[in-house]
Amino acid sequence: MMWASQFLAPTLVQTTPILLAALGAMITSRANILNVAVEGMALVAAFTAIAVGQATDNAMLGFACAILAAIAMALLFGFVSIVLGADFIVAGLGLNILAAGGTLFLLEQVYQDPGGLRPDSFPEIWRVPEGSLDWLPVIGPAFERQSFIVLIALIAVPLSALFLYRTPLGYALRAVGEDESAAVAAGIHVARMKLIAVLISGLFAGLAGAQLAMDRLHFFLPDMTSGRGFIGLTAALFGAARPWPTGAAAFLFGAFGVAGDRLQLLQAPSQFVLMAPYLAALLALIFARWRAAVRGRPAPVERKAP
Amino acid sequence: MRRTFLSRLASALGPVWAVAAVLVVGFLIVLAISTDPVLAYRDLLFANFHSASNFALFLNRLMPLLLIGLGVILSFRAGVFNVGAEGQLYLGAVAATAAALALPDLPRPIGLCAALVSGMAAGGIYGWIPGALKVRLGVNEVVGTLMLNFIALLLTEYLVTHPLRDPVAYGAVSRVIPSSAWLAEIPDLPGATSGTIVAVLLAPIIWLVLFRTEWGAQLRAAGSNLRFAETVGVDAGRLIMVAMAISGGLAGLAGAFYALGIGHRFEQNFSPAFGLVGLTVALLARLHPIGLLATAAFYALILNGAAYMQIDTDVPRSLVGLLTGLLVLMMTVRPRRSALAGT
Repeated sequence: MMWASQFLAPTLVQTTPILLAALGAMITSRANILNVAVEGMALVAAFTAIAVGQATDNAMLGFACAILAAIAMALLFGFVSIVLGADFIVAGLGLNILAAGGTLFLLEQVYQDPGGLRPDSFPEIWRVPEGSLDWLPVIGPAFERQSFIVLIALIAVPLSALFLYRTPLGYALRAVGEDESAAVAAGIHVARMKLIAVLISGLFAGLAGAQLAMDRLHFFLPDMTSGRGFIGLTAALFGAARPWPTGAAAFLFGAFGVAGDRLQLLQAPSQFVLMAPYLAALLALIFARWRAAVRGRPAPVERKAP
Repeated sequence: MRRTFLSRLASALGPVWAVAAVLVVGFLIVLAISTDPVLAYRDLLFANFHSASNFALFLNRLMPLLLIGLGVILSFRAGVFNVGAEGQLYLGAVAATAAALALPDLPRPIGLCAALVSGMAAGGIYGWIPGALKVRLGVNEVVGTLMLNFIALLLTEYLVTHPLRDPVAYGAVSRVIPSSAWLAEIPDLPGATSGTIVAVLLAPIIWLVLFRTEWGAQLRAAGSNLRFAETVGVDAGRLIMVAMAISGGLAGLAGAFYALGIGHRFEQNFSPAFGLVGLTVALLARLHPIGLLATAAFYALILNGAAYMQIDTDVPRSLVGLLTGLLVLMMTVRPRRSALAGT
């Protein structure tokens, strides 16, 4: 059973940012917003995590600031799109360009290195202690040495299900996504609900960016999110914005990333390895829509002989 | 008559205000960080005209922005939120390069045409895919084109590091295209590709097609009110797929022009996000082909000017990326009404 945990451990590492971005996109898509901005929010969080962690030598402070920075970006996104009425997709793309351009600008201006921010030493975040889960077969070893953000991401799936289906706020949020006019008629403050959804997506995107930068790498590179936010968005679409299927889709895409890595051992060109999660996400989305189209097709009409 | 002219002027002035606001914000940033803010801004805006070679580089950046912008206009007018221009551009460039390298012995016009057609076809097919997926299965085109972008860039990276690789050059570049397939330069402007002239001429043609032909009217009907279009008998699905194929073909043509006319080989990092900037200038022009000439020229100006600014002063060129982000973020802001509602 060694191979199972050896596969599960990197899958957890690869899945976590995708899963967190997917949960963020899922919450906003419940409020009828296609949120491409999770990508940019996560990028800003990754940069902040490394910059603050390096400056203060305090991992938790870097983590907290990363979350706050992503939420600040979400607030900007929400203000421009909900309050000022900008198109969600255009504003989201704008936020992504701003995040990429802004972090690159800071790299060049503050750190004089457009190639990235690589601190000589970086404080370690809390991890599951080695050997503490020996009693659990397969799953135990896979979880040892994982960062606490991985655990947060896993707990976030049932928590977001609870939030969406068992709290008044969740009901109101879903009502906005189902039918805005009906939600208004029911006395729900639609703009406020959308803003709450965007802020929650900022929280998730912040966690995703922090995990990406602080877990293994301990450095920041320009565009280091490299589409994980978009893959998360695809997972949310694939899962029809339901928590468990969305989480499962994120795991599937993460596992494809790891499977791609294994292909590299067979001398496959690295580009095809890196392509695996994007291809998997696209094909999964096509498959989901195809199945929906087949199921929604009207039954054939049987013609009676005249 | 007078009123319509004034309202048109007002809608033309909207983007001017947006650009002016961005330039002011940019100047404030430069003022805060630079010891010589005036020189930085003079370089950003005017260094393009200091020499013929600077101007040639400006024209070379204008070409992809125009072609991609025109494609974006067509797809958005058909109601498709196409953000896949970057992938289509890359596939067009790599296909044109591959064709030119594979057919080195063809006489000049035939070889050049074959390369250009391969580039357009590759981009066109790559644009048609997300269009067909949207029409046939309802796959969200934003997510579809975003994924296809990543796939295309990795595919070209594989091609340029393996089958097309130049064994003696450093970095991810293909072998040099035989000069028989090079696109001509503009006379008296060394280094400026004549592809820019084609791109400029295509703008009024696309305008004619969109606003003065039945096909264009049907396309705009499909984009603005799908149910109305289908009720009056327009085959909207087919129109959308054709528009996406043309849109991708234009981006592919931009890539082919770049490889055959500017780089004379495929370079993996040849595009400073032309796809996103092309989308930006198209939206800034309010999806109007003639307005695009102005907005694309402005962006080519500052994209190119930023390079001189970085050389002469202490202001990094990524200032333009920062400003573009602010611009796109604020571009569709319309208190009380949303122009792109429903996309």
